[in-house]
Amino acid sequence: MKTKHKLLTIENLSTHFFTQDGVAKAVQGVSFDINKARTFALVGESGCGKSVTALSIMNLIPKPPGKIVSGSIFLEGDNLVKLNEKKMRRIRGNRIAMIFQEPMTSLNPVFTIGDQIAEAIKLHQKKPSNQAWQMAIELLKKVGIPDPDRRVSEYPHQMSGGMRQRVMIAMAVSCNPDLLIADEPTTALDVTTQSQILELLSSLQKQNNMAILLITHDLGIVAERADQVAVMYASRIVETSSAKDLFAEPMHPYTQGLLKSIPTLGCKDKRLYTIEGNVPNPLQFPTGCKFHPRCPLGCDDKRCQRAEPELRQIGDNRTVACWYAAGYETENERKEYEKKYGKRK
Amino acid sequence: MNNKPTITKKQLPKGVGFWKDGFRRLARRRMAMVCLFIIFAYFAIAAFIYLAEAFNWQLSIVDWSSQVGEEYQPPSKENIFGTDFLGRSVLRKTIYGTKISMTVAFWASIISLLIGVPLGAIAGYFRGWVDELIVWLYTTLSSIPYILLILAFALVLKDKSISFSWLHLGTLQLSGITSVYLAMGLTSWVGICRLIRGEIIKHKEREYVLAARSYGCKNARIIFRHLLPNVFHLIIINFSLRFVSFIQAEVILSFLGLGAKNQPSWGAMIDTARLDLPKGYWWEMTAATVAIFFISLALNIFGDALRDSLDPKLRVQ
Repeated sequence: MKTKHKLLTIENLSTHFFTQDGVAKAVQGVSFDINKARTFALVGESGCGKSVTALSIMNLIPKPPGKIVSGSIFLEGDNLVKLNEKKMRRIRGNRIAMIFQEPMTSLNPVFTIGDQIAEAIKLHQKKPSNQAWQMAIELLKKVGIPDPDRRVSEYPHQMSGGMRQRVMIAMAVSCNPDLLIADEPTTALDVTTQSQILELLSSLQKQNNMAILLITHDLGIVAERADQVAVMYASRIVETSSAKDLFAEPMHPYTQGLLKSIPTLGCKDKRLYTIEGNVPNPLQFPTGCKFHPRCPLGCDDKRCQRAEPELRQIGDNRTVACWYAAGYETENERKEYEKKYGKRK
Repeated sequence: MNNKPTITKKQLPKGVGFWKDGFRRLARRRMAMVCLFIIFAYFAIAAFIYLAEAFNWQLSIVDWSSQVGEEYQPPSKENIFGTDFLGRSVLRKTIYGTKISMTVAFWASIISLLIGVPLGAIAGYFRGWVDELIVWLYTTLSSIPYILLILAFALVLKDKSISFSWLHLGTLQLSGITSVYLAMGLTSWVGICRLIRGEIIKHKEREYVLAARSYGCKNARIIFRHLLPNVFHLIIINFSLRFVSFIQAEVILSFLGLGAKNQPSWGAMIDTARLDLPKGYWWEMTAATVAIFFISLALNIFGDALRDSLDPKLRVQ
């Protein structure tokens, strides 16, 4: 593998929330690599653990009740899970920055946007205030806000959602981070603004050579922007692949279902495909493969009901966690299966 | 990158901040402005007396202790509010009392805010055992009857002194009104502490706090730079309403014999006048009550107006 291009390596990350009703295993054994200057997309339904993964990388899990119970997150050699709060603060904003889903509430309403961008700059770089202010204006220009000299001293409530998201992006890229975590950056924006924001992110990525972890449930965005994709379902990754391969040939039945349920232009008369059932409750996951109650292939399969498939490498740069995926089963496992449950249909 | 036609500067509305906007709303209320004027007048009188004492101005209006006529003279042209049992001018005593009352209420408010706001913010932000400790502290404090508590504090603090020699600042004599406002300040931070704690708990779940942490802010910075400014309007409103209750508390303390000694405060005036009232000498009581009435009314109306114009939830136009 091309280890030298890896920026962030997550190994076997598990984050649990110890609530009064029991342990919610929000993230279980998640592993993936993010390469330098590439876009890595994390896809999944609401509540599948995407955002918790992102917050775990930043070490911003609200604790208690949350806790990273195992695993490691390496940012070019430093294990972020082990770092103390002080060292972690130096990484936040400086090497890993984050933008959030809701631009309307991510800016502090009582400060001007210039104050907020300048604060982010001053926290990590020794800069006098007026210089930080000048940089803030430059950044606003860079993220495409018209008339930045004037806009810099305005308050968040005077801006539209798209502009606020641009301001958030300006804050996030102010210290040239190596990795930008974008947690559903366009969910709260309308479609035309969405594409502008994504365009902006791409151009900043090229300029700053920065990697992006794009968290989304919008497969359209993934197809357009991502290099690598990981599909999450019920707190685990079920499939990773390059974006091209994923759309050409999805291997996990969940991914297949997701792709089938995207409406396509021109087919009016067919009903849209849906994945039956609901996302399982993280307090009570089903046994075996977590997807089996909703799976068209494995719902009656005894093994799917009992044994959870691990993520295995299939072919070049692809991993999948499904007993039914082509090339997943080893010969021994197949024999064992047939001995136990009889011949597969 | 950006070739779109930009809006010219003239077309953009000028940015108006939270405070500017709030005070603009306030300025539009005539009643609030009248009240503000009254409050300023009281402060000005207090400040004037301080100045007169500091520079030893020989002004008759400040000289409350000299005899101006016969004892128990009813209001007349020479003495608008009459004279007291020693023949001193009630008007001058009332004016001098402004200094005592305003000083006591001001410092008591400041002390209670200085204790209540940081404690409430820390409890609300960190939660956990810190929160439990602070909540325990204030629930215990607030379960003791207020007057009893304030009496206990005032008695303990009375005529003691605190040495600030380690700060090269000399000693603070806790005589007279100093012990009064310390006692009031130290016992009445519970309300504001509770209020701020609740607000911080609410605000810290907002995304801008997470965003601030995500670019590397320290906890202290988040509390004092990001969260407190967002609840600061509550502190100001609370300050104005609290001020009234401290003026009234000073009256009660003086009435109970724990207030200012050898200086006329409104409370002390009411205390002495209470025995004179059955004899028909009503003017001393009236003067002190009127003085209290106007400042209380003005502060109450102003406090409500402040709330209406600063609290984002109540802002209606």
